[in-house]
Order: sequence, then C-alpha cells, then structure tokens
Amino acid sequence: MIRKLIIILSIVFFADMLHAQDEPLLKKWSYNTASLMPARKWESGLFQPFRYGINQKMEIFTNVLMLPFIPEAGAKLSWGTKNDFAIASEHSLSVPTPFLNMISRKGIGGLISPEYDFSFILSVSNSIIVSRKIASSAMITANGGYVFALRGKKPDPQSSIDMPLFYPRMAHYYEGTSIRLGTAVKGSIGSRWFYEEGVKAFLITRSENNFFFENTGTIMWAGGKSLRIRGGYILAYGKYPYLTPKWQMWPTLDLVFGSK
Amino acid sequence: MNIPFIRKVIFLLILPLFFAVFNSCEPLATSFEDVEDAIMYTKSEKVAPPLPDSTIKVMTWNIRFGIGRQPWFGDACGNNTVFTKGEVIPGLDNIVARINEVKPDILFLQECDVKSNRTAYIDELQYILDRTYFNYAAYVSEWKSEYIPSDGLGRMDMGLVILSPWPITDAKRINLATRGDQAGIVNYFYLHSCIVTGSIKIPGFKEVPLLNMHASAFATDDTKKKHYEEFKAELDKLDAAGNYFVAGGDFNELPPGSDSTDFCYEDMCPGESFHQPGDDPQHKAGSDYTPEKDWLVPIYTAYKCAFTLADYQLNQSAYFTHTTQPEQTWDRTLDYLFTNHRWRAGSAKTHQEFFSESDHAPVSAEFVLVKE
Repeated sequence: MIRKLIIILSIVFFADMLHAQDEPLLKKWSYNTASLMPARKWESGLFQPFRYGINQKMEIFTNVLMLPFIPEAGAKLSWGTKNDFAIASEHSLSVPTPFLNMISRKGIGGLISPEYDFSFILSVSNSIIVSRKIASSAMITANGGYVFALRGKKPDPQSSIDMPLFYPRMAHYYEGTSIRLGTAVKGSIGSRWFYEEGVKAFLITRSENNFFFENTGTIMWAGGKSLRIRGGYILAYGKYPYLTPKWQMWPTLDLVFGSK
Repeated sequence: MNIPFIRKVIFLLILPLFFAVFNSCEPLATSFEDVEDAIMYTKSEKVAPPLPDSTIKVMTWNIRFGIGRQPWFGDACGNNTVFTKGEVIPGLDNIVARINEVKPDILFLQECDVKSNRTAYIDELQYILDRTYFNYAAYVSEWKSEYIPSDGLGRMDMGLVILSPWPITDAKRINLATRGDQAGIVNYFYLHSCIVTGSIKIPGFKEVPLLNMHASAFATDDTKKKHYEEFKAELDKLDAAGNYFVAGGDFNELPPGSDSTDFCYEDMCPGESFHQPGDDPQHKAGSDYTPEKDWLVPIYTAYKCAFTLADYQLNQSAYFTHTTQPEQTWDRTLDYLFTNHRWRAGSAKTHQEFFSESDHAPVSAEFVLVKE
C-alpha cells in the first residue's frame, strides 16, 4: 500500500511540468538539488542549514541554530554533468549527544525521560544527488544515501522520541543503518513563486520499526533579492514502537536569507 | 504522451487515498466530546460466566498503571518517567494474581495504560483480560496524547475500565469538568477526568448500570466538587428512571468526618516545604483536603456506600485505601463503591493486604441483585 503510494506520487512529480525560466529557480532554490551555492555566496534558514560556496566544485554546510546542540559539518561536492544529469554528493558528520542530553530533562521540553544519559554518538551521512531539468521551469532531483552512527554506548531503546519526523531521523542512533531514498520536483510559477513536491523513504536495517515515508509539499515566495519565505506540509507515515502504523500531517515554515 | 491527461487521471486516482490519509491523522493531544462511545474489548476464547443466585461481587481498583510501588516522578517523589517491560510485566502479573484471588464479578479499574510510552507500550487491559476470567471490557481514555513534550512522557493513553464476564452494553465515556487551575497549553496535554459507564444483564435479574469514575487528583480549585456533582447527576438520572446501579472509583476525596485532612507532610518530597511562612504554595497540590471535607456529603446522603460513614468514623484506618509513600502504610480513604439498592451486609472489604501492587488498595463489596 505504502510502496504503491510512493510510486504514484513519484509519477505525479515526473508529470508535474510548468513553463517558466530555469535560471531563477536554481538561483533562488538550489537547496535539495545537485546544484551548489555559487562561490563565496551563502544562504541560511531557520531550519535549512547554512550553506557556503567554496568554489564551483564544493559547498560546505551546517545548521547554525542547532550548532551548539548538534555540532555538525558537511560538504557537498559537484561531480559535474553527464547526459543532462547534474551529479553531486553530500557528506556530513554530526554529534547529537549534547542535544539528546539537553532534551532528556524534567518539565516542559523534556522530550526524553530524564533518567536517560546519552554517551558520545557520531552520526555519519553520505548521499548521492542527481538533478535533471524536465521543463524550462522545473527540475527533478533524486537522492539516495545512508546514515549510520558510531557510538560509545548503545542508547536505551525506550529513550527514543517516538513521533514522526524525529523518530526516522534518529533511528540509526539506536540500531541499524538508515538508508534514505527520495525524489522531488521543484519549479517556478512566475518570478517570485516557487514550489516543491517530494517523497522520501527511510529504511532502517533492523527487524522492526524500520520503514518511514514522508511526502512534502512546499511553496516558496521570494520577497527580495535575499529573503525567501517557505511554507507547506509534511505528511509522514511510519511504524513506531507502539506498533500502530501512523499517518501524521505537520505544517512547515522557514525563512531563508543570504547573499544577494 | 498527453501529460495533462495523465495528471488528471493520477489526481483522480490518488484523491481517495488522500481522503483516507487525512481522516486517519490524529491531533497531538486528544480532546473529548461530552459523551462518547467506549472502546470495547472482548476475549477471543470466552469463559462461561457465573450464575449468581442473589449477589455479585464488585471491586474498584486504581492499579497505578501496573508499576506497583516503583518511584514514578508524578506521584511518589521519584525520578523515573519510563518503565521497561521487565518492570511493568511483574507488576501486572501481581495485579492479575490478586484479581484471580478476590474474583470480583465486576471490576472497575482506574489508571490502566494502553500502549503508553511510560509502560513500554504494553496494552495493559488486553494483558489483564487475557489472564483473568473476564470476557468483556469497556475502556475509555482519560489521558490521551500522541506525544506529551514534558518529562519524557511521550505517547500516553491511560484510562478507566469496566471488566465483566457478561456482555457490557451501552458503554460510554462521560467527560467531567476541565481543571480550572491549569494554563491552557498544560491542560491541552493533561488528563481529562471522566466516567466510564455501561450495563450488564444477568439472566433472571434486572439490568445493572455500572459507573466508574476517576476524579481529579491534583486540582486545587473547585474542579473536584464539579466532578462529584456531575457524577451524582448521572446517578440521580438512573435512580429517577428506576434503575439499580453500582457506582464507584477513585474519587480522590476523603469521606466526610475524616480525622486527618491535610497530608502535605506525609506526601512531601525531599527539598519541598509546606506550611512554613513564605512557602508558596502553602499546601502541596492534591494533599490538602481540608477545604473539601463536605464535598462527598451529597453522594453519601443520597446513596449507600459499601462501608457506611458510621462504620468509617468508628475505625477510619481500617478503610484507608491510599498512601503516596511506599515505605509508609495506608493513610487515607479515596476509593468508593456506591449503590441506590443494597450491599450484602458485612461484605465490604478494603484489601489493605495488597500493599505492593499499587498505591491504592482495592475495595470490594457484594451488590444484591434485583430479580426481574
């Protein structure tokens, strides 16, 4: 059922073509594609990572707001274009331990029970991204990768945050490697409005609570040369530890700003 | 290929799917209607129900979600929020053993968890149902949230239960007044007190309506008073219609005329201070019953408690059903059984010997059935 949904949505995205200019699209919204930030240009969002173009072959990124809690560093490397397919790879390291220990607390904001202590966890992520223009104003991106964790001590399985968005992204801290596959179509509607529709699957290499799926839809408004406002939804499905597969809809909102 | 045509076809194909998806989405915390249907549980291989000749034994028990006397952060000065399967299952087994020992015909439970994070996602009701002689159960959620972002509580579904060997009909959840002393966002994720109701029909006897209430434990305003008024209003309706009911539960209230009404010192945790100049609050929430000492008078006046007020006042400690501290003994009475008909004389029992199974002692009594 779920796999069928993924296939259906993927077909929709392939078929989703509109007509406008490609150049403004990548200038305004190259995040989540195989395109890099131009050299010496930067952008950041409240939730989207800070990205900085080193040169035409490399950009670096980190999440500025979360940096004190989840130290993270990553790089996106361009592998050029072959047969109209732009190819890039993303590699990052992050240490979620301070964040996990911070939210393992009493009172409001205690997402994890205070009896749990987390030892050192290093999360290692590698992925390949391929983008291709499918119309004058739209492009499709596919990505695939894996994320695993090197840990001092395996966290207690009952210390997980068992809700959509969190659980699939944290699953590999506890057990298994997270294999992530996704595809998204983005395009422009005129010069200031942009859209993105995507699907993402998380497959965790373990025997249970191992499949998660997200469908995201986002509209972005480019308010000026540097400010962009994005909003939309994430429809998430997953098998959580309480064994009842769930659908959940979450709103999304982000402000993105950066170099002109 | 005609792309717009394909898009239209795909859109039509996935529309019902999206409809199904949107309908299955749940809010972060559940809010309740005034009256809702209860969730019914049934044992797959049923046991032959008993054939009573004149009475049925009814018991009420707040089982503290099966964790026995372990120090939970919310009520026993503990630090733990979450318990493992290995910690919860022995607690449930103890409860099951006690139920099978007392053998009530009808059992009211409070604080029964169904797939909650704090109790390792065990369906405690199904566990109890499968290991006792009951065939049917009516469950209503009292505290239900997809995720409580506080103290690591996470997913929560705790509720009230009526268990019976006979089919339970017309089972409902009746919502009680919302706490008036909590901030909106806290209340959104907090438990919502309620009553579970249902009826049983035993061959040869009149139908017996059943009501099980868990009143607020920690409200510091008049919320509990409203709960008792709402509960009594339900009893009055049944009484006026000529029904003979059995009602009970964890009322979180002392009987009128109790010698001791302030338990702030008994319930005080390390680092807390009450009753001293400058203490704010002066009293621990849920531990000072002094302003509430008459709140159960209307129910006592209108209906018959399994133990009479006169009996209670002669020997109060014999009827104590609760203590917050595992190293102390029972120190107050919070759990009750009422009827508008009759209890078999001398049948009421406060099971104070069951000290390690929960922070409440069960109360049982034999209800005299009314022949058709």
